[in-house]
Amino acid sequence: MIRRLFSLLPCIVLLVSCSGAKLPLRIDFVPVFGGQALACGDTTGIVQLTDLRFYVTDIELVTANGEVVNFQLEENSTWQQPDLALLDMEDGQGFCDNGTSDINASLLGLAPERDYVGLRFVVGVPFDRNHADPLTANAPLGEGAMHWHWRAGYKFLRAGIRTADDGFWLHLGSTGCKGTVQDISGCSSPNRVQVELMDFVAGEDTVAVDLTALVADIDLKNGIATDCSSGPAESSCPAPFAALGLDHAAGTSAHSQRVFQTQVRF
Amino acid sequence: LKKLLLPLLLALLTVPAVLLWMPEDKYEWHIAKNLPVPEVPVDNPMSAVKVELGRRLFYDARLSINSTTSCASCHLQALAFTDGRPRSIGATGELHPRGAMSLVNTAYASRLTWANSLLDRLEDQALTPMFGENPVEMGMAGKETQIEQLLRSDPHYSRMLPKAFPADENPYSVLNVIRSIAAFVRTIVSFESPYDHFLRGDEDAMSDGAIRGMELFFSERLECFHCHGGFNFTDSTTHANANVDRVGYHNTGLYNVDAFGAYPADNTGLYDMTGDRRDMGRFKAPTLRNIAVTAPYMHDGSVSTLDEVISNYARGGRLLDFGPNAGDGRRSPYKSEFIRGFELSDTERSDLLAFLHSLTDQSILEDPALANPFMNPESVR
Repeated sequence: MIRRLFSLLPCIVLLVSCSGAKLPLRIDFVPVFGGQALACGDTTGIVQLTDLRFYVTDIELVTANGEVVNFQLEENSTWQQPDLALLDMEDGQGFCDNGTSDINASLLGLAPERDYVGLRFVVGVPFDRNHADPLTANAPLGEGAMHWHWRAGYKFLRAGIRTADDGFWLHLGSTGCKGTVQDISGCSSPNRVQVELMDFVAGEDTVAVDLTALVADIDLKNGIATDCSSGPAESSCPAPFAALGLDHAAGTSAHSQRVFQTQVRF
Repeated sequence: LKKLLLPLLLALLTVPAVLLWMPEDKYEWHIAKNLPVPEVPVDNPMSAVKVELGRRLFYDARLSINSTTSCASCHLQALAFTDGRPRSIGATGELHPRGAMSLVNTAYASRLTWANSLLDRLEDQALTPMFGENPVEMGMAGKETQIEQLLRSDPHYSRMLPKAFPADENPYSVLNVIRSIAAFVRTIVSFESPYDHFLRGDEDAMSDGAIRGMELFFSERLECFHCHGGFNFTDSTTHANANVDRVGYHNTGLYNVDAFGAYPADNTGLYDMTGDRRDMGRFKAPTLRNIAVTAPYMHDGSVSTLDEVISNYARGGRLLDFGPNAGDGRRSPYKSEFIRGFELSDTERSDLLAFLHSLTDQSILEDPALANPFMNPESVR
């Protein structure tokens, strides 16, 4: 009886409705370009996917009346910690060539039974885990290709496309980190992406990762592959950073991003 | 009690394991008494079998994406573990923005690579050439499973790994590859140059010119020793008994492409790590040991000879008259206070060069214990 009262206490204090039960919920992600879904193995289109992998953390669902609940992920040995997931749409096919055949295009977790109309998450790895050693870290942080040892942290996002001889790839992660590998005290450019989709109906809609927006201001007809490794002197970084809502110089979220979008499932 | 049981059991298992391999396998440093031994991370103690395993891995091209490139491809023993190129070339042909640094006395480096303030352990640094993607060096990003398969299938590795890492339940890991290579690289220790012999009392080890050159090198007039000082000729030096973290990054006035001190965009030095404009063009002063055999010079190999290096410093910064990187490095606002310029007579210049040549330790270039075990099977212990 007392235990039950305690579990109700947060509901009373926060004056929100608590139906109690948490239901399983799946949130799907799909890479798109020019409105079409992209996959590594599909090499017939004008644009091919070469990579798409990213970490997602701080996942919240928003109800119509503004209630924000934490979306707790189901822990598993490959992709998810309770508050951190690796989404991996790189299947080793086609022009995707430095990952594994395993893919993971969904977040799986539990959320209180509500009607959700909004989704928020952060693309990145929390600071307390971002500077761990990938050779000893737990999944999904044991993925070597998601780590850049020389910047002493994880690549939050790796994305790449190609078209004929042109291409672009982005490796996004914290830069300007202080200290040494085993003992990082902070990073001047955290470069974590804040995503807020206020028209997202959980259980129905899909998150589109729009690579058109990512490369909108990149010259894809210059005959060479362009890349951005998040460095301060890289001239090909400000444009994709802006698409992700990041100020390249400051490394912080300056405005809303355009890459992650709600895709209504018909 | 239950909580205590596991640690107790682990402790009981560890003690005999340690006793079993420690005494017979202890690594002996061959370093003169007046010199410090390198600092070794507690989680990667030295052992003879680990060093030998690391040597094989260092020379094994199967650790690259197309089996063309080993660590030794860019770190050749005969060139004091550099590759003679201005900038190194990776397994897939990609040109590295920078030249391969000498691995001689890397065990004493307080920070690794040309300009990475984060990397202070070889165990962390070794991951970048193997797995880095920008640029691709050995190109093994995402190929960890392939490496583990090699470790299990190769007769040497499958036999040596359990011996080198007796406490590991599964010794066939990338972590142990890295640890072994780091242990081997720590053994590339050089203190047998004519200069070292001279310091130990052999007055004939250096020519009179080289001795005069040494005096110039350590003079306030030339300022060389401020950055290239100490037993390892670099201010970024540490050792087992060091109690301060000594790290130095310096802009030597090599570039000034926009008249505001900019370096070429793909090679901005410490700035790339910190994003702080004051770090533009700041690079670590490399050791000058064996410097005569590690041409071309500077982080991007843009200076061909030691003579030209001296000319740039004498001028107080390099002048590039034309080309995409044209500019007067002497006028860089970020230039080190020690790059002030100096005048040097022809004799003094040749004396200084003679001194720099006296830092070449011939034995390190020929030591069979550091040589390729695949080329010379007899040297395998």
